[in-house]
Amino acid sequence: MSTAIEITHLSKTFGTGKRALDDVTLRIRPGEMVALIGASGSGKSTLLRHIAGLIPSDRDQRAQVAVNGRMVQQQGRIGRGIRETRAGIGFVFQQFNLVGRMRVLTNVMAGDLGRMPLWRSLLGLFTDEQRRAGVRALARVGIAQCAFQRASTLSGGQQQRAAIARALVQGAQVILADEPIASLDPESSRRVMATLADINRSDNVTVVVSLHQVDFALKYCRRVVALRDGRVMFDGAAEQVSADMLRGIYGNNSDLDLGSLLGPQADEDLRPVAAARFALA
Amino acid sequence: MTSMSGNLLNEHPIHPPKPGLKSSLLRYLAYGLGAALLVWSYNGAEIAPATLIRDAGNMATFAADFFPPDFTDWKFYFTELMVTLHIAIWGTVLAIVCAVPLSLLAASNIAPVWLYQPVRRVLDALRSINEMVFAMLFVVAVGLGPFAGALALWLHTTGTLAKLFSEAVEAIDPQPVDGIRATGANAVEEILYGVIPQVMPLWVSYSLYRFEANVRSASVVGMVGAGGIGVVLWEVIRGFRFDQTCAVMIMIILLVSVVDIISARIRAALI
Repeated sequence: MSTAIEITHLSKTFGTGKRALDDVTLRIRPGEMVALIGASGSGKSTLLRHIAGLIPSDRDQRAQVAVNGRMVQQQGRIGRGIRETRAGIGFVFQQFNLVGRMRVLTNVMAGDLGRMPLWRSLLGLFTDEQRRAGVRALARVGIAQCAFQRASTLSGGQQQRAAIARALVQGAQVILADEPIASLDPESSRRVMATLADINRSDNVTVVVSLHQVDFALKYCRRVVALRDGRVMFDGAAEQVSADMLRGIYGNNSDLDLGSLLGPQADEDLRPVAAARFALA
Repeated sequence: MTSMSGNLLNEHPIHPPKPGLKSSLLRYLAYGLGAALLVWSYNGAEIAPATLIRDAGNMATFAADFFPPDFTDWKFYFTELMVTLHIAIWGTVLAIVCAVPLSLLAASNIAPVWLYQPVRRVLDALRSINEMVFAMLFVVAVGLGPFAGALALWLHTTGTLAKLFSEAVEAIDPQPVDGIRATGANAVEEILYGVIPQVMPLWVSYSLYRFEANVRSASVVGMVGAGGIGVVLWEVIRGFRFDQTCAVMIMIILLVSVVDIISARIRAALI
């Protein structure tokens, strides 16, 4: 199997008439770590949700999404065995999407729901092996001590790592992360991205992560895919990302300090400017 | 900085917008309609405050009959009061058991429209018929006694609780449910792991409220022969034994207060 994710001619038009995806074709190999960048509304989330089969595409004859060699959707119809397919795809959301009132460990073990017999999940009878796997996954992301707390008592960064632990318990070969660090502080963001990169490296899990922060994308991902208005505008190695390309993606008048993203030197130069701006505010 | 903005405010005073002519006219129209409604219903309800004053002597004699309360049969009252409590417990528990699935079927974010609309109409029907009416019907069906009372409470409470439960379900945060769905879980697991944990505190709280209300209702359904303290109350009133009536009423008040206090404690501990 040479492709982990295969997307061909995927388009999506929402009820409002907005074209969120415009003929996207993308092939991602197993073990890649890909950053999805683009301005708000460029279609990053929409694309990820299509890959997980959470929304169907437009009914294009050639539209197709396959993950791990299994059909997710074809011609705008979600594939038949979608639940088994989804079990192999870990999805990490911007808002963590944990159940706040459940224990962290139960949230993490919920990753196994797709695989366990229904009578067990109905009665909430997780096996000792599942419990051990849950705690192992939590230890892996560094929050095993929180296993028996309610998920809502965790900080944002801890919740996001619990969500990643859920994907680990799932045994996902592909992890899709939709703006996983958009609501986190810089230190938590760093830890979450490092965790994803570690899982990608050590377990050879394919990771596709959409990001607002271009600096994080360039630091953690070897391949960058840039979207604008639902179209793939750039697809290449992180080293090939240029200020011109970013300007094309985000527009000239964006607040982004494009210079600062491309190397520490530029960062140094801009620091006094940033400080001055802060003083003015 | 502050002084500068202060000056700016003085130079450019802010004029909050005033309500337009149309909205104030509408408001007066609403007041007028409200007043007209009260006048229209005054005669129908035969509201006559003067009688209260004119017959004040009768009222005083009547009130005096209640005192001192006669507690000689308090052991009997207590046994019947416990029967009332048992009616309320079973009526509520059966209703909770039925309300859980019905509420999910009546929630627009869980069930399809062809399912939740009919289910809601059934719940409306259960709610619109008072437990007294149900009690009278069940007395005919299963005979005099507490069982008829429990069944009556069960039906009416199912209608109320299922509606309250389904409103809680419709107000959940859909994101955790997405999270569960993305793991490959099926619809039942989505509900069990994504929906139920979110609505649990509200459901518990509603159930306890309904239990309190049902303790009060259970004492009334007895009056049509459906068992418990209501039967006793009905008999002492019909026998003009107002001193005993007073004793029974005091004991009902005590029971309802104790139940209120306990369930408030439980609610506080759970939420």
